[in-house]
Amino acid sequence: MAAVVGLPRGLLYYYYGAIWERFFTCLGAEVLVSGETTKATLDRGDILDEVCLPLKIFCGHVAEIKHQVDYLFVPRIVSLGKNEYNCPKIIGLPDLLRSAFDQLPPLIDVHVSVRQSRSDEWKAAAGSGQALGAGRLRSLYAWQKARRDAVLNPVSPGNHAACVRVALIGHPYILHDRQASLRVIDRLRSLGVAVITADMVPKKTAEQAAAILPKSLYWTYCRHLVGSALALMDAPQAIDGLLFMTSFSCGPDSLIAEIVKQHAKKRELPFMILSIDEHTAEAGMVTRLEAFTDMLARLVHR
Amino acid sequence: MNVTFPHMGHLDIILRALFRGLGLEVSPPPPVTKRTLELGAQYAPETVCLPFKLTLGNFIESLEQGAQTIITCGGVGPCRLGYYAEVQKGILRELGYHFEMIAIEPDIAHVFGNLRRLAARRTWPEIYAAFKLAGAKMEAIDTVEAKVRYLRPRVAQKRAADRIWEQFLREVDQAECRQALKACQAKAERELDALDRRETPEPLKIGIVGEIYVMLEPFVNQQLDLRLGEMGVEVHKAMSLTEYVRVHLLRNKQYLRGYREILKLAEPFLAHYVGGHGIKSIGCTIDMRHRGLDGIIQVFPFTCMPEVIAKNILPTVAASVNMPVLSLAFDEQSGEAGMMTRVEAFIDLLYFRRMRQCR
Repeated sequence: MAAVVGLPRGLLYYYYGAIWERFFTCLGAEVLVSGETTKATLDRGDILDEVCLPLKIFCGHVAEIKHQVDYLFVPRIVSLGKNEYNCPKIIGLPDLLRSAFDQLPPLIDVHVSVRQSRSDEWKAAAGSGQALGAGRLRSLYAWQKARRDAVLNPVSPGNHAACVRVALIGHPYILHDRQASLRVIDRLRSLGVAVITADMVPKKTAEQAAAILPKSLYWTYCRHLVGSALALMDAPQAIDGLLFMTSFSCGPDSLIAEIVKQHAKKRELPFMILSIDEHTAEAGMVTRLEAFTDMLARLVHR
Repeated sequence: MNVTFPHMGHLDIILRALFRGLGLEVSPPPPVTKRTLELGAQYAPETVCLPFKLTLGNFIESLEQGAQTIITCGGVGPCRLGYYAEVQKGILRELGYHFEMIAIEPDIAHVFGNLRRLAARRTWPEIYAAFKLAGAKMEAIDTVEAKVRYLRPRVAQKRAADRIWEQFLREVDQAECRQALKACQAKAERELDALDRRETPEPLKIGIVGEIYVMLEPFVNQQLDLRLGEMGVEVHKAMSLTEYVRVHLLRNKQYLRGYREILKLAEPFLAHYVGGHGIKSIGCTIDMRHRGLDGIIQVFPFTCMPEVIAKNILPTVAASVNMPVLSLAFDEQSGEAGMMTRVEAFIDLLYFRRMRQCR
C-alpha cells in the first residue's frame, strides 16, 4: 500500500501546495490535504502562545490530519535567495510542531536554505523522496516535472466594470483562507470593488518596484508584498486605495505595513490596515470595509 | 558632527568613549524615561516590538536636543532589528526632523568605510586606541557587574554593593585612559570585597535568558536583576555586551566555541537558527541546568519572533531537563505589580523545590 503523505493547508501551502501535491503523487505516494479552514480548525490549533493566527491555523490543520497519515510534509524553508530569509516562525516550524504535539507521524522536514547553497531546493527534493524510499534520480525527476506541470491558480481582479479599484495587500495564506480573512475578497467584490492582490502582480514587476527601497528587504514574501504595493501605486491603471490585511503579532508585517503606509501617504492614497486574529468579529470587519469603500467611491466621483 | 545613538543598558558609557576617541562630538539621548516610551509608542507601528519604540523615542529626544547624526545598527535578518533603521528613518523624516542616519551593517568593508568617514581626521592607530579604550570599559563594566550580582544576596547592608557600583559607573565614564580605568576597577573590586557579608544559606541561583535588549536595559525589565538580588537571589545572565561583541562581531575563537556548545545543546529541541537569541535561550536553559542553577526566567519583548518560538518550545525543554522556567514578555503596558507577583511566586516555587530535594 502506498504511503500517505499529509499536507496541512496553511502557510506556504498557499504558495507551493500544487507543486508539492504533484511531486508526491509522482513518487507514487498518496497525498492527503487537510480541508478548508473552519472554526474547528481554529479551536484545534490554539495550542501555541503569542503566535500569529496563520501559525495557529497551521497547527489546526496538523491536528486534523495527523492520525490519518504516515508522514507529514513540513519543510524547513529558511531562505529562498541570496541574502534572503523567511519569517523566523516558518524557519522554526518543524520544531514548534514537535514541541506542541505529543504524537506526530514522522515529519519530512527537509531543509531549504538557498542563501547557503543554490542547489538546496533540489537537495531538499531528493531528501523528501528518500524519506519515502524513492531514489535520488527519480525524486529529482519528479520535482522537475511537478514544478513544470503544476498549475498555480490563475487569479483575476473580477468585476471589471467596478468603479473603485483597491489593492489588497496581504499574505496569500491569510487572503485566500476564507475563515482567516473572513472572505474579505468576496465581501469587497460584493461592495462593487475591483480587488487587486499581490499575487496578481508578476514577480519581476514587484522585484523592480521593491528596488527603490534604500535597503533591500530580506524577507522574501514581504519584499514581494511591498514591491507589489509600490508597483500598483504607480501602475498606469491607477488604484483608488490600499488595504493591508495582516495578522495580529505578525513580525515582518508590523514593519512593512509602515513602509507601505509611508509610500501611500506620499502619493496621497487612502490606506487602511485590517488586523485580524481569532477574535475578529465579522460585523466589525464589514463596517470598516463599507466605510472605506464608501469613502473611496465619494473620492472617485468627485 | 554631533552624533547620537540608542540606549541599551550601559552601552552609552562605552559608545561615548568610542566616539570621543574618534574625534566626534557626542550627545547621547537623555536617560530613558516614561516620556521616551510614550513618544516611541505614539509614532511607531502599533505591533512592532518594544526596542523599536524605545530607540525611536531615544532618537526623537536626541534630535530635540540638537543631535545631527544618528548612529545605529543594521542587520541581515530574519529578526526585525535589521530593518529598524530604515523604518525609523522614514518615521523621523515624516515628523520633519533633519538628520543623517548611519546604520552600521555587519560587514567589514561597510564598517571601515564608515569609520574612515566618521573619523576623517584620525589616524588608524588613534582609531585603534579608541576601540581599545571602549572595549576595556565594556569589559570592566561587565566584570564588576557580575561581581555585584554575586554579592547582592550576600552582603549584610542592603544597597551597599549598588552604591559602589553606581560610583564605579560614574568613574568609568570619566576615565580618559586605560590606566585610570584599571585603577577605578581595582578600587571598586576592593571595596566590594571589603563589604560585610551576612550569614545565609546558599542563595537561589536564577538564570536570565532571552532577548538582549530587554535583558540589559533596566528601564524595560523593571530592574529585574536588582530586585532579584534584593530578594536574595544570585542572578546569572545568558548574555553580556562583552560576550555579544566577542561572539558576533569579533568572532573570537574561544567564545565561538562556547557558543557552538550552546547551539549543540539546543539542537534536539530547535535545530536551526531562528534569528535573535531564540536558539540561545533554549541552549542556555539546558547549560544552566548542567551548571546547577535552580531556575530560568526568560525575558523578551512582546511579539519578538525568535523568543516567541523559544517560549513555545521551552516547556518541552523544561520538562525534559527538569528545570523550572518562567517566561516574561514586556511591552509598553507592562505593569510592575504583575511582573513582581509572578517573580515572587516563581521564587517561592524554587525554594519549595529545593526544600523537597533536601529532604
